[in-house]
Amino acid sequence: MRKKGLKSLALTICLTALAPSVWGCGNDSDGRIEVEIVQYKPEAANYFKTVEEAFNSTHDDIHLTISSPNDAMAILKTRFIREDYPDIIGIGGDINYSYFVDADILADISEYEGMQDVNEGYLEIAEALELVPVDGTYILPYAANAAGVLYNREMFEEHGWQIPETWDEMLALCDEIAAEGILPFYFGFKDIWTCLAPWNAMAVELAPSDTTRQVNKGLTTFSKEYEELAEKYMALLPYGPDDPFAYNYNDACTAFARGESAMYPIGSYAAPQILSVNPELKMDSFVMPASDEKEGRTLNSGIDLGFCVTKDCKNKEAAYEVLNFLYQDDTLQKYIDAQTSVPCKKGNFKLSSLLDGMTEFIESGNMTDYQDHYYPSEMSVDALLQTFLIEKDKDAFLKNFDTSWQRYNRDIIRMVQEYEAAQGNAK
Amino acid sequence: MKQTSTVGKSNKTVMVLLILGLSTIIFPLYMTVVIAFKQPSEMTNSISGILSLPKVWSLQNFREAMDVTDFWNSLKNSLLISGLTVGLSILIHSLMGYTLGRNKSSKFYNFVYLFIVSGMFVPFAILMMPLAKQTAEMGLANWFGVILLYVVFYMPMNVMLYSGYLTNIPLALEEAARVDGASTWLTYWKIIFPIMRPMHATVAVITALAVWNDVMTPLIIMAGSSENTLPLAQLNFQSQFGTNYNLAFASYLLSLIPILVFYLICQKQILNGVVNGAVK
Amino acid sequence: MSKHENERKRTFLLITIPILALFICFNTIPLIRGAMYSFTNSRGFGNHDWVGFRNYIDLFSDGRVGKSYLFTIKLALVTTVVVNVLSLILALGLNSKIRAKGFFRGAYFLPNILGALVVGYIFNYFFTYIVPALADLTGIQALGSSILSSPSKAWIGVVIVCAWQSIAMNTIIYISGLQTVPEDVYEAGGLDGATGWKQFKHLTFPLIIPFFSINMVLCVKNFLMVFDQIIALTKGGPAQSTESISYLIYNNGMSGGQFGFQSANAVVFFIVIVVISVAQMKFSSSKEEQL
Repeated sequence: MRKKGLKSLALTICLTALAPSVWGCGNDSDGRIEVEIVQYKPEAANYFKTVEEAFNSTHDDIHLTISSPNDAMAILKTRFIREDYPDIIGIGGDINYSYFVDADILADISEYEGMQDVNEGYLEIAEALELVPVDGTYILPYAANAAGVLYNREMFEEHGWQIPETWDEMLALCDEIAAEGILPFYFGFKDIWTCLAPWNAMAVELAPSDTTRQVNKGLTTFSKEYEELAEKYMALLPYGPDDPFAYNYNDACTAFARGESAMYPIGSYAAPQILSVNPELKMDSFVMPASDEKEGRTLNSGIDLGFCVTKDCKNKEAAYEVLNFLYQDDTLQKYIDAQTSVPCKKGNFKLSSLLDGMTEFIESGNMTDYQDHYYPSEMSVDALLQTFLIEKDKDAFLKNFDTSWQRYNRDIIRMVQEYEAAQGNAK
Repeated sequence: MKQTSTVGKSNKTVMVLLILGLSTIIFPLYMTVVIAFKQPSEMTNSISGILSLPKVWSLQNFREAMDVTDFWNSLKNSLLISGLTVGLSILIHSLMGYTLGRNKSSKFYNFVYLFIVSGMFVPFAILMMPLAKQTAEMGLANWFGVILLYVVFYMPMNVMLYSGYLTNIPLALEEAARVDGASTWLTYWKIIFPIMRPMHATVAVITALAVWNDVMTPLIIMAGSSENTLPLAQLNFQSQFGTNYNLAFASYLLSLIPILVFYLICQKQILNGVVNGAVK
Repeated sequence: MSKHENERKRTFLLITIPILALFICFNTIPLIRGAMYSFTNSRGFGNHDWVGFRNYIDLFSDGRVGKSYLFTIKLALVTTVVVNVLSLILALGLNSKIRAKGFFRGAYFLPNILGALVVGYIFNYFFTYIVPALADLTGIQALGSSILSSPSKAWIGVVIVCAWQSIAMNTIIYISGLQTVPEDVYEAGGLDGATGWKQFKHLTFPLIIPFFSINMVLCVKNFLMVFDQIIALTKGGPAQSTESISYLIYNNGMSGGQFGFQSANAVVFFIVIVVISVAQMKFSSSKEEQL
């Protein structure tokens, strides 16, 4: 009897030892080169499934696997820790990309010929994301999103409202809408990340695009650069619902879809959620004007999805072949249609009618990256913004922004300043 | 005589209170069911809208949810992981709980008890990265590794439960068996293990539930493998920019059924405590 | 006698060693490896530098971390009391001679199984739309706007949801504790005329004290480590008023780039809970002995 219990323990231990052999590796049995992509947009999973099938049916030498997991960032980070790198990763152009470049995980792909076709605006944006300038290119920008103001087209046409082009016109429009008894804006500030949408959309016009880098160099402060922005953000609040912090993103999308407000300051990415509630809704978007100069306007757009090849990738040629396939005009067009996004490739693409109001900016290349792509997520600028909007204390907010920035970016600031010093010495 | 009458009275009050309390459960459950049957286009922000019945009672959402989550396959994985975890937990944790519960006077075992129980308080976030690395190094980045980790994660709580339960089981029971010449090991399996049945059922329910709903462990340990558990597959319904609540709710209702059935089976065992008869 | 004692000792040792080894392998060792990160500026991946005790020094001057400790402890204390009172009452109710026992037990168990997404959605809806509407009807001004949008009141919402979800689990433990109370104790008590509160206080409760202390420890631990409910309900808001310690550790350490710093936070947090819980256990075991 005693042996029986010990046996079960022994069995456990044996199973532990056996487990590796049970865990078989999916090695290429038919001699094809395996290429694995992990991309971070689960909402595009269906698109990537069709890409995977199309690629594999046309290639005998390469076998492609694309996974679109949820919480891909957690998965990617865990896999990096295990040193189990996918060949290609699909991520956004944000601080995570900056960290990955800094961590020396990604390969330089400037030699890849497809780079010639990328819209320069997005290459510059990618460049700017590097914590300190690094030689080479590490991301192939694929698709971008744009943020501004979504508006209810039918409502606008019915009342004859005009798209505002300056900040004063914006406020005048809001007053006009409110006078009709309609709510101008909806906000879903209970989900803190939505606090960043209007902030980003106005920041591109009111603050220099390289504000964070200037701060890191010690040349300016946020109190100086963001003051007007903070004031104007506060001025928008009265045009939203009474208690914007009670509603989350989903509530706001539903409310806008149901015609409870004329406008919703959010990115183009919200379109599918809004349309799922009301597929009949006619909506369009415009660039949020934040200053008194029409010409000062610029579209808030950043890399929503780009592909990076990891350093660990065994066969770069095969990876490039996959990128070629993804970067074909018709493959990319399908992605844009499915995700209402903006292509990062030069050429003639058909954009969603949702982006009508933004087309002129896209075509002329007049766009600026989201400020929040430079904010470290652990600083929770979204939460700071929510606090600011609740407490309405601008000075405290800006002061807090400056001190928090120094605190959360200490290592980066040191790195930037060391780099600057080295540059200075070199000169 | 007197006693039965008071019991009868108080039971009626108890019933009324229980029924009143039930409303706090029926109401959210009603919302869940109604939303699971609705279409996204029926969602509104008004109370009448959310409480109204769906326009059409169709199983479409459930079918679609099963499709999206690859239901049968994910269910199989979830059942396998939960089942094995519960089985191993009952065997291993009860043994450990017994050993520690019967040696409370020993300094060494007291230390082991505190050492293991304090494992309960380790924030999972600090273990995540090292475990992801360690399981990969040991070739355990798979469902078996997940089970092994669960057995370790729930050991503190279960050991605490078992050894707490033992304080009410008199030593006399074992001593009687010893007189008959049985070894400690044999006595455990013959007498103590069966007597702890209500606790086994409790441990089974608590462990199964925790495992059934857990996302993080399989997410980081099985990252990169194509196998999904139900909660992992259910992540498909939400992304930052949009959540399909209707499909998600349908899916959650589906995954609720197996664990509810399991609970109902176990709770009978919790009640049929043999201790009542044994402790005299 | 001594032969038997030896046999018993040997068996206990043979049981303990392999199980303890398993535990050390997958709990203690990773914990130590994790704690090493607290002396680095690691982001969780890539290369990192050793920074000595910088993270620990920062920890004690970080307002956000301090605030999260205050919030978490307040939440844990209040919720533990609420949950234990309610689940003890519920357990007594469900354990008494009532009709449809199985049905009630099943129903009261449900909150525990509903996934965080469902619970979050429903309670968000409840606090955002339903409570204010009810308040309008009844004219209670204080509840006119969502409590989740108020930095001073949002924690109450978290308490309600935590309690709602975890009462079932504590009730099960109390019920299984009540099974160890022999029927004849009541019979004897009934003869002495002990009924109701008296019976509970003098007969039932002393016998289920081990389960009471288990529940206390589990509650304090669960609510100090609260995470799911925060994610589902408030995501730390409004105005960072409901950031729990676990939320900070996960959100800033795992999702964000503060892995090293949050590892230090986790180490300190771990020590804090161990101290609280060991004190709790010592306290309740001394109570047990008294009775």
